Amino acid sequence: MQEPIIEISDLSFAYPQQQKKALSHINLKVAAGEWLAVIGHNGSGKSTLAKLIDGLLTPQSGTIRVAGTELTPTTLWDIRKNIGMVFQNPDNQFVGANVEEDVAFGLENQGVPRNEMLKRVKKALVSVGMLNFAQHEPARLSGGQKQRVALAGVIALQPRIIIMDEATSMLDPEGRRDIIQLLKSLNKEKGFTVISITHDIEEASLAQRVVVIDDGTLVQNDKPAKVFQRGTALIESGLDIPFSEKLKNELKSYRIAVPQEYLTEKGMVDWLCQFISKK
Amino acid sequence: MSIHFEKVNYIYQADTPFRHQALKNLTVSIPTGSYTAIIGHTGSGKSTLLQHLNGLLKPSSGSVTVADKTITAVTKNKELGELRKHVGIVFQFPEAQLFEETVLKDIAFAPKNFGKTPAEAEQIAREMALLVGLPEEVLQNSPFELSGGQMRRVAIAGILAMKPDVLVLDEPTAGLDPKGRHEIMQMFAQLHSQKQLTIVLVTHQMDDVANYADHAIVLEKGEVIASTSPQEVFKDPQWLLKHHLALPKATRFAYELQQTGKVVFEKMPLTEKELAASLVDLLGKGGN
Ligand SMILES: Nc1ncnc2c1ncn2[C@@H]1O[C@H](COP(=O)(O)OP(=O)(O)OP(=O)(O)O)[C@@H](O)[C@H]1O
Ligand SMILES: Nc1ncnc2c1ncn2[C@@H]1O[C@H](COP(=O)(O)OP(=O)(O)OP(=O)(O)O)[C@@H](O)[C@H]1O
Ligand SMILES: [Mg+2]
Ligand SMILES: [Mg+2]
Repeated sequence: MQEPIIEISDLSFAYPQQQKKALSHINLKVAAGEWLAVIGHNGSGKSTLAKLIDGLLTPQSGTIRVAGTELTPTTLWDIRKNIGMVFQNPDNQFVGANVEEDVAFGLENQGVPRNEMLKRVKKALVSVGMLNFAQHEPARLSGGQKQRVALAGVIALQPRIIIMDEATSMLDPEGRRDIIQLLKSLNKEKGFTVISITHDIEEASLAQRVVVIDDGTLVQNDKPAKVFQRGTALIESGLDIPFSEKLKNELKSYRIAVPQEYLTEKGMVDWLCQFISKK
Repeated sequence: MSIHFEKVNYIYQADTPFRHQALKNLTVSIPTGSYTAIIGHTGSGKSTLLQHLNGLLKPSSGSVTVADKTITAVTKNKELGELRKHVGIVFQFPEAQLFEETVLKDIAFAPKNFGKTPAEAEQIAREMALLVGLPEEVLQNSPFELSGGQMRRVAIAGILAMKPDVLVLDEPTAGLDPKGRHEIMQMFAQLHSQKQLTIVLVTHQMDDVANYADHAIVLEKGEVIASTSPQEVFKDPQWLLKHHLALPKATRFAYELQQTGKVVFEKMPLTEKELAASLVDLLGKGGN
């Protein structure tokens, strides 16, 4: 792996007054420019991990290094400038009185000149389809509109690391597709590092690497195809099986011999076509 | 319980520069005992419509009738007490409906309020917590010190504990892990078929519409553009595209396969089961 932009060593954390650790002995490296998906069942510790990386929570033991610097109370503010986080509930992150101010907030904090700022805010709002709502109060938006505005905030900020905590869970199918497309291009063309916490198997399959968290421990760290090959065992860790695997299972119940290895949807179409041709 | 919207207009912030009409002259019925899905683009008015079902929002003009109660702009909140016992709404953001000190107390709130003893209410709360898959160790925690998916489960359990006749769900599976999503959707389906609950589900998951709903209402910019069966809604991909909607995965896959020219589906499948069945038919016949 090239120089990691995030390096987590032996990280453990428990919430105050809680017996059980929310995370234990996590080791993880994220390369600059990588797209990493974090998956795991409800309560497994995904959001906790995101908050630790962003310095919103302090670990009991272990270290986190971001862009070569160890995260400590003194380095926290500088480190945070590298990170744009979209929270699981957008209501928890709105600070502006209206949408435009809210999206501008992070830029203002970084001392971006006003003209440049206005341009970036406008562009970000256009990219999420919310320019018409620039003057609206964030609290008075629909659920999906709130998520779009929260995403616009990080898109305008252009941080080196984008952490999305189920940031697309309430988007309509079209909005979700557009925003994922946009993030993909930021990742590919501009080299942003993306950490995407998600329950959506399609979103996870976009990643170069998938990390599985189970009850506070990191249990798998591999390419999507490897992780998805686990088939029904995925369900046991609280995860979904990809569509193509589901279809394979249905076909198997009709005693049709299907390939063992993981197939993408495209792969499944090709295989079915071959199968039909051979008949 | 029969539900009917008659010429409903709803305007947010009426006398301000931000005036926004979220529902426009909307007339639609939700069939008694149906499992109705409401779909539509972001901001199309789905959550606004749902909040009319127990009078949390009242029409700016027009009327909403639920069973024998008619709600208009001038209906007083105190007239709505009885209705609110029968219509349970799970909100889009679960935090909006959590408020008690502990998870258990939060879930026990409705039964206690409706006259159960504290012990009975706690008993019901424990049953509901189990039903939605909440781990025992979080039951004494504050409902705000939970993971996102756990909060969602508490909100659902709290509404189930009301034992409503109409269950209204605003994207209830957002934030649930896939296993939880499957189990909880199955549980809703069971309540629907065994206890004849009317279910009104807002969702962006077309697979859920295909798998569970028997009626679908499509909203666009505050207006109803379709109120029909899921089969009808997913019949025409061009129409869906035009209205910014999507196909269920199995249907999308079937179209992809059809485009190779190797197969032709007589009837487009909506679910994986239907897809596999028609594939087996086709393969059995040796392809096209
Ligand atoms: N503020 C808090 N105080 C105490 N415990 C908490 C707090 N927030 C979360 N927890 C607990 O820590 C564990 C991990 O929570 P976390 O939010 O990291 O889960 P998650 O993987 O993000 O889950 P989800 O998929 O539901 O969002 C859970 O058991 C949860 O109950
Ligand atoms: N409290 C409010 N004050 C003012 N306008 C609002 C308020 N709530 C919603 N709106 C506006 O009304 C319209 C309909 O919102 P609604 O929440 O019903 O949409 P929705 O279909 O549920 O969307 P989503 O899929 O994003 O949840 C939106 O344009 C929204 O901005
Ligand atoms: Mg979380
Ligand atoms: Mg909504």
